[in-house]
Amino acid sequence: MRLAALAALVPLAMLIGIAVGGAALAPGTLVHALLHPSAGDDAATILWQLRVPRVAIAAVVGAALALAGTLLQALLRNPIVDPYLTGVASGAGASIAIAATIGITPVLIPPMGFVSGLATAVLVAVLARRGPRLDPERLVLAGVSLSALLSAIVTLALERLARGTASEAIIAWLAGSLAGRSWGDLAAAAPELVLGTLIGAATIPALNVLRLGEGRAATLGVHVVRLQWALLVASTLLTAAAVALAGLLGFVGLIVPHLARRVVGPDLRVLVPAAVLVGAALVVLADALARTIAAPAEIPLGVLLAFVGVPTFLVLYLRGIARAYA
Amino acid sequence: MPELVLEHVEIERGGRTLLRDISLTLDGGVVAVIGPNGVGKTTLLRTIAGVLAPAAGVVRLDGVEVRALDPRERALRIALVEPTEPVLAALTVGDAVASARFPHHRWWEWEATPADEFAVDDALARTGLATFRAREIGTLSAGERQRVWIALAIAQQASVVLLDEPTSHLDLRASVETLQLVRELAAAGALVVCVLHQLEEAAAFADRVVVLGDGSVVADGRPEIAITTMTIERAYGVTLSVERRPEGLAFHRNVTPSSSS
Repeated sequence: MRLAALAALVPLAMLIGIAVGGAALAPGTLVHALLHPSAGDDAATILWQLRVPRVAIAAVVGAALALAGTLLQALLRNPIVDPYLTGVASGAGASIAIAATIGITPVLIPPMGFVSGLATAVLVAVLARRGPRLDPERLVLAGVSLSALLSAIVTLALERLARGTASEAIIAWLAGSLAGRSWGDLAAAAPELVLGTLIGAATIPALNVLRLGEGRAATLGVHVVRLQWALLVASTLLTAAAVALAGLLGFVGLIVPHLARRVVGPDLRVLVPAAVLVGAALVVLADALARTIAAPAEIPLGVLLAFVGVPTFLVLYLRGIARAYA
Repeated sequence: MPELVLEHVEIERGGRTLLRDISLTLDGGVVAVIGPNGVGKTTLLRTIAGVLAPAAGVVRLDGVEVRALDPRERALRIALVEPTEPVLAALTVGDAVASARFPHHRWWEWEATPADEFAVDDALARTGLATFRAREIGTLSAGERQRVWIALAIAQQASVVLLDEPTSHLDLRASVETLQLVRELAAAGALVVCVLHQLEEAAAFADRVVVLGDGSVVADGRPEIAITTMTIERAYGVTLSVERRPEGLAFHRNVTPSSSS
């Protein structure tokens, strides 16, 4: 029931996302263009070449980050974990910074970011290993410290490029944005998104058992090592795809699982789809807001989300989410 | 009745050998494992459960090596109750106990079956938790929480139930209730192996007591045979007067460390 209400939220948010934008379209024109994608007029072009792909990508990015965050929080049994913890974002950021510094063609930047994000996640996972299993504490430590190092590389690149235009690529990535994204970008990210979602979904019953603790889960028949690696792969693929599509969008992966938990409770069979829906709706609405509040200029989406996300996080934290385990 | 066999089992922790050449055949009833702190009781229990590998030797359940079993197959046969691990506080009692049905499902079977519902209802009823179904675990007392873990073991429907200190942190009444539940499990056909700290509890509730001390089995048998002044002194290094009475063992606790230790 509550899940159905959340499911209704997404098309609603998408309609709003499609309706608002730089060029004002009358409701009649909008509906006509929506129903006639190949009409060939300006309205249809704006809608189907610009707004619809952008809104779809916003929904996919929000869903992917929320899914990755929910899975990682459940895996690490840590309510303040964010999908960027595995180093995907900072790895991508550093490679984008290096690429901008040495002047690599912009077309190559997203795939480079994707590959180096994955490489960083692999390094974090290797550092977090203890025997065959992943140590949650080591994973957090390795993720945080490597991210700090890689962020320093980004800062260094920004400082060196401060007076040039090449720094725009880095700044755009750091600020998080969906400007200029097309169907092609979504198609390029689709394999990782699908694979990450399938692996993540398959782990849900075992993740539910993990709420009782790793030791109990193991005695209840959960293959804990296999579960840990599957979830790390799933969340890394999802996050890397989201980062390649939208740059740094902080707080979605951290906050959305908590918001969804408030609505549907801690059963991951319901929580995971709920988080996916909330994440999609949140990023679509935030992007619509980012495009309109300072129109014709755009506020970077990542910045806007941080303005919403940080206070929400603080409220949740002060209410004691960090003491979720007894 | 399940038959659990330990053959020349050696147990290590952190590179140190705790127990050497342990050979036991356990085939039903309540078996209490007692011994001083650090002797390796918990590690032995986890080795029997197949969670840890023995440094040497082998543990077999009904002829099958437990380490060779897939985690799910193992969970269908052996339940391990460890009360200390932190748990998600917002989890309800009903959801927690329902988790015990995980090994009865394939990974794509997400929905509870009538058999699951029956097992969970039965476990909650037998542990007196039927009215606690919607309560969050974080709000329970230590005794209530202990009953949840035992309900989990019941719902798991394994033929071997291993319990690590099920009565620690419990008051007298909660301890007695817990141990009565343990006896009911054995009466229903399970082999129950229970690490206990209180000698009185082992004497009153166990069919058989295994006393561990100094890296090996000091005594093994019916409570009045295994728990004697001599075996307690060998295992714990303290002198405790144990008196056999018609109603059971009586302990006189004018305990002093023996001169040999």
